[in-house]
Amino acid sequence: MTPSGGIAFALVVIGAAMITGDLVGLAAPLVLCAVFATLEVRDRAVTALAWSAGIVAPLALFLCIVWVGVVGRSPEEIAAGATGTRVAALAHVATVCTRLFLVALAIQLVLLHFACMTPLQFIRAMRAPSGLKRLLVLTLSWIDTILHAVDRSRTALITAGIIAPRLSVKNAAHGFILVQTVWLSVITIALGRLRDKWPAENTLARLDEALQAPPQPLRFADGAWLAAAIATAIVAKVA
Amino acid sequence: MQRELIAGPNFSGRSAALREKLRRGETFFLGPYAEAALSGLSSTVADEIAVYARAGQAQGFAALDWAPLGSRKPATLSGGEQVLLALHCFSRSSYGAIGIDTALEQLDTRNRAAALDFLSRAERGFDVTLIDNRLERAPEGWRRQDATPTETEYACDLAGVLDELHPRAAPAISISGMDFSYKTGRAIFRGVDLELAPGTAYRLIGPNGAGKTTFFKLLVGVLEPQRGTILLASRPYRPRRDGNRAFALAAQNPDHQWCGATLAEDIARRRRALGAADSTVSPSESLLASLARKLGIRAPDQLLYELPLAARKRVSWLWPFSGAMPWLMLDEPTIGQDRDTRIGLGAIASRLCEIGYGLLVVTHDDDFATRFAHRALRIEGMTIRPE
Repeated sequence: MTPSGGIAFALVVIGAAMITGDLVGLAAPLVLCAVFATLEVRDRAVTALAWSAGIVAPLALFLCIVWVGVVGRSPEEIAAGATGTRVAALAHVATVCTRLFLVALAIQLVLLHFACMTPLQFIRAMRAPSGLKRLLVLTLSWIDTILHAVDRSRTALITAGIIAPRLSVKNAAHGFILVQTVWLSVITIALGRLRDKWPAENTLARLDEALQAPPQPLRFADGAWLAAAIATAIVAKVA
Repeated sequence: MQRELIAGPNFSGRSAALREKLRRGETFFLGPYAEAALSGLSSTVADEIAVYARAGQAQGFAALDWAPLGSRKPATLSGGEQVLLALHCFSRSSYGAIGIDTALEQLDTRNRAAALDFLSRAERGFDVTLIDNRLERAPEGWRRQDATPTETEYACDLAGVLDELHPRAAPAISISGMDFSYKTGRAIFRGVDLELAPGTAYRLIGPNGAGKTTFFKLLVGVLEPQRGTILLASRPYRPRRDGNRAFALAAQNPDHQWCGATLAEDIARRRRALGAADSTVSPSESLLASLARKLGIRAPDQLLYELPLAARKRVSWLWPFSGAMPWLMLDEPTIGQDRDTRIGLGAIASRLCEIGYGLLVVTHDDDFATRFAHRALRIEGMTIRPE
C-alpha cells in the first residue's frame, strides 16, 4: 500500500462513518476497519484501539451525562415533540461516539501501517502538490514546537516550585502561568529560527528539494482496499 | 576557502559581524541552542538529516552513529548531541559556508576537537566563520577578526556579586540504588549510589548525551526514578511528591527556565512559590534587585526574550545566587560567556562553597573548571562515580 492509497482509504472510511445515520450502518465500516487492522496492522492494532477509545471516552462520558442523564431523550424525539426515552438518548450517544471512534481508528490504523516510515518519508511519497506537502511539514513542525515548549515550560515551573509534578489543585490555579510560559517559549523558538537560521540557509527551499520525489504509482493493494471502502460506504448508506 | 574566528568580549558586536558575513540563503547557520541549530522542520533525527543531505555528499562529519538514533525526536537530544547533529547535516549538505555562533562550546573535549578538526581541514572546500569564547587563539590557517569592545548597558559586576552572597548551610545528599529509564525504554541510570557533601562543588563529567541534565531533572522532581531513595540531611526527599525545596537550577539554555515574560514577573512568581512553603528563606526584593543590576540587568521590566542571549544567560544565575535554595545546579554556565565573565563566575563558585552551599556543575569548559576547587563525578556506564 502507498501513502496516497492509505490516505484515500482513510478518507472513504471516514466518509462512510459520516453518511450513515445509525449504529447498524456504522457496523459496516467497523467491520472493514477490523479486517484492515487484522491484515495490515496486526499486533499494533491494539494501540490504535486503545488510542481511539481514549479519545472518545471523555466525550462519551460527557454526552451520557447530558443526553441520558439530564435531557433524557434523543434529538430526533425532541424535534418530533415526542416524550422520548433514555434508551433512545443512549442510542444517539452511542451513534455519535461510534462515529468519532471510527474516524480516530481509521486515521490511527493507516498511520500505524506506515509506522516504518518517518513523517518526511511519508509526506514525500504522497501524490500531492508541493505546496500541500510543505504545509503538512510546517504543521507537524508547529505541533512539535508547541509540544517542546510545553515540556520546557513545565520543567521550568516544576523546578521553581510554581506547579507540582503531579496532578494538584495548585496546578489548576497556576495553569495560566503554564500557558503564558508555553507561548513565551514558542516565541523564543520561533525568533531563533526565523531571525537567524532560516534566512541564512533558505531552509524552506531545502525542504522543498527534500520533498521532491517521482510520483509513486498506486498499487494493487491500494485499489483493493479503496474498492472495499467504497463498497462499505454504499452498504453503510443503504443500511 | 576562508576560516575566520571572530574574537572579542560579550556585547562587542561579534554576532552582528557574523551575520554580516553570512551569504543569505547559502550559509548553514549553527546557533547556540536547538532553535538556531536545528531546522525545526523535522520530527525525527533521520528527517533532519534528510532535509539537508544531498546526493554526492555521503561522507559526513560523524562523531556519533546516527542510525540507532534515527527515530528520536531532535528536541530530546542533549544540547551537545544537537550540535553534533547539525554539524553532520551541514557535512552532508551542499552549502559552501557555515557560520557558528558559540555552539561548539557545548561539546565535550573529544567531540570539540573532532569538530574543530573537521572545520579546519582545507580539502573540504567550504568557508567557516566562528565565534567561540574558549579559543584564545585562532587555529592554524585561520584568520582572526577582533571585535571592538564597546560600552554596553548589560555590563556586569561579578566581583560585586560576591558581596551579595549570604551564608547558608546546605544539607548533605545521599542517593542510593537509583534507577532511571525514559518511557521509551532508554536506560540512563542503574543502581546509582552517591554521597554529596555540603560546602563542596561537584563537576559532572561525561560525554554528550550521558545523562547529566537528566540527573538534574531527577533531583528537582521533573523526572522520577523508577527505583532508589534520595536523602536530604538524612531525611527522605521526594520532590515529585513534595516539590523542589533544595535545588536552584540555572539551565543550559536560559530560555528553558523562565517563569514569566519579564525578570520582575519571573522573580515575583518564584518568591511567591517559595514563600508559600517557607517564607524564612525567600530572598528579599532589594537583594534580588541589587543582584540583577550586578548581573547586568538594570530594567527588570524589560521582556526577557528581547535581551541579548549572553545577558539572558547571566541573569539566569540570579535565582541560584540569591540564596533561595541551599544547592545550586549550574548546567553549562559558561556557554556564550567571555573570559572575564568565566573568571568571575569561577570566583563566585568558590565563594558559594566557602559559605556553605553545595554546587553541582555541568561544564565541558576545562579552563573554567580550574578556577574553583571541585570534585569530579563521572557519568559512565549508567552510573555516577567520584573520580
